[in-house]
Amino acid sequence: MDAIVLLRDGLAAALTPGNLLWALCGVVLGTAVGVLPGMGSAMAVALLLPVTFQMDPTSAFILFAGVYYGGMFGGATTSILLNTPGQASSIATTYEGHRMALGGRAPQALGTAVIGSFVASIVGTLVVALFAPTMVDFALKFGPGEYFALTVFSFVAVAAVVSGSVLRGVASLLIGIAIGLVGIDGQSGAPRFDFGSAVLLDGIDIVIVTVGLLALGEVLHVAARGRNAPDLASIRSGKPWLKRRDVRRSLPAWLRGTALGTAFGPIPGSGAEIPTFLSLGAERRFAKRREQRGGDENEFGNGAIEGVAGPEAANNGSAAGSLVPLLGLGLPTSATAAIMLAAFQQYGLQPGPVLFERNGDLVWTLLASLLIGSVLLLVINLPFAPLWARLLKLPKPYLYAGITLFSVLAVYAINASVVHLVMLIGVALLAFVMRHFGVPVAPALIGVVLGPIAESELRRALAASAGDLSILVDSGISLTLYALVLIAACIPLVSRVRRLRAERRERETTGVGTS
Amino acid sequence: MTNRQNPAQPDDPAETTEPPPTAGDSGTTEPSGADPTPDADPAPAPEPAHDPETVPWTGRTAWVFPGLVALFGAVAVRGALTIEAPPHSPPPGPGVVPGIVGTLLLLVAARMALVNLRVARRIRQGAQVPGTPGVDWPPVGIIVLTLAVHVALLEPLGWLLSGALLFWGVAYAFGARTWVRDALVSLSMSAAVQVGFSLGLGLNLPGGVLELVL
Repeated sequence: MDAIVLLRDGLAAALTPGNLLWALCGVVLGTAVGVLPGMGSAMAVALLLPVTFQMDPTSAFILFAGVYYGGMFGGATTSILLNTPGQASSIATTYEGHRMALGGRAPQALGTAVIGSFVASIVGTLVVALFAPTMVDFALKFGPGEYFALTVFSFVAVAAVVSGSVLRGVASLLIGIAIGLVGIDGQSGAPRFDFGSAVLLDGIDIVIVTVGLLALGEVLHVAARGRNAPDLASIRSGKPWLKRRDVRRSLPAWLRGTALGTAFGPIPGSGAEIPTFLSLGAERRFAKRREQRGGDENEFGNGAIEGVAGPEAANNGSAAGSLVPLLGLGLPTSATAAIMLAAFQQYGLQPGPVLFERNGDLVWTLLASLLIGSVLLLVINLPFAPLWARLLKLPKPYLYAGITLFSVLAVYAINASVVHLVMLIGVALLAFVMRHFGVPVAPALIGVVLGPIAESELRRALAASAGDLSILVDSGISLTLYALVLIAACIPLVSRVRRLRAERRERETTGVGTS
Repeated sequence: MTNRQNPAQPDDPAETTEPPPTAGDSGTTEPSGADPTPDADPAPAPEPAHDPETVPWTGRTAWVFPGLVALFGAVAVRGALTIEAPPHSPPPGPGVVPGIVGTLLLLVAARMALVNLRVARRIRQGAQVPGTPGVDWPPVGIIVLTLAVHVALLEPLGWLLSGALLFWGVAYAFGARTWVRDALVSLSMSAAVQVGFSLGLGLNLPGGVLELVL
């Protein structure tokens, strides 16, 4: 296999002592940030983005790979120990994971999460290595019209499917696109929305937006909740050794979760949430059926280990899967992928078909570093998982003060500009308002990153056709994508109808039950 | 970022912690509705029931976010009308996309306003609506103020002092009141960052007044 050979070369390039050290740093830092409440791997990558400006791209991506996986594991840790998922993709883990922790089985839950993540990362990365080149072949057929259709598709999918309320998701997305409009227009060179400030001509840096939306917004949000904020002191931990019975029950769950995650990862807008919840649902059914057949008892509801193993594997599998469209098409399908895209852009690299041709070695090194990252994750976090939990015993004031300090630093490091810090405060206030009113911030992030791409593709297409709108729909690929947009837009409607129906049925059954 | 309307999701535990076994499944584990397992409390599921992303906005603050969206929309539309396209630029000029985005923002704001009115009417008719949680203003104010002061003093005062001030201010907002320890932690955090960055990454943080003194 061609891809395997290339991957092996990448592995050889990535396996230098220096790069291993970066991967180690990445895993440790990623886990540290991921463990902090409300912080996920997207956050970890965002905070580290400016730090890597001085590094060469290979080392930087190896660091990111470590941070990415470390952050996801960190999120699982807080879900299990504290019932506070750091990001949406760890929500599914909280249900059974936290119950396991309450039942004194926190170490086992952590253990199954680490190994599940490991299995899924390895399998997922191999899948990416095999499929990304195919995706590239496909992407080479894309013109601006098709790319625009693709961005519209991810917009709709992200805003409509992932958020709780379609209206709020769309609002968040549009605000993100609006923020992305600031600065000199790349097509015509006209200044837009600079409000007379020279700094705004360069646009609002993606680091400012991510740090403001995710980190500082979270700090303000937690501060505003005052006493309602989660208590971090109530943690128990131990050594995460799995018994044979645990392994026997986790293994099929890991594999099923991996399959679900890798299958859903490349689909724009599906994020990591859908596969994790699908996996949780599937494991619950399997456990029930197993009990009916006279196998082990169904522990769902009381801390079933499969309910942690499956979703965690699905989470990492989808993280790896989301790299297929990111590398092959230059299309981020999750918040973290959006930041990774920004990271590529910082180095003047544009992910997509051209990247494979011009910087193929870098791509394969990145994929190889993902493999290394997952091995390191296993080696470091399996024995030391309980130590991470201690990080939460830091006094809360210092924890959030530290996050604030590093947020400011991350932004100041971009360009040593105080004006950027003023923008940061503005974005943080916006994020605070959004968080307070239950408006998801992830669509805004996708909007900031993808908005400019969508605009330039749209205008390039229209310029080529001299303003004839039909160029947008004159290929099979575009039409298919728009059909998918329609379906994606209808899904929330269908699910609302289904939920209403389920509620009615529920009301009837409970009515019967109490009478 | 919360997961809520997952269509493909067969039984979403967030919403249906208890009821579904009776509704959809054969009910092998819970034969009857009333069963004494610890987590089978029939009351509305405590935490996940109030997903902040679906809680309607009530009261006067309900208009804050729609107003903000409308403001963004107005600025974008105004920009679309005032941006001057340089001569010889190809047909869709730089104002087209801002115009579209701005119009959509205004539409979304209008729709949110409509939803608000509907919720207000439901409340008047006596419906129970979970409200948005209140804001503990003092800590938020202190943090924003500290950030502003930090930004203003960063260059004149230098990173070491203004960073320490920022750390201390945020810690104070979160309830730290052990003055001596807080001050020591703040200063050492700030110093560690400065040393780490200038030694490890060659990034120079402003020295400020201390540079002149030392």
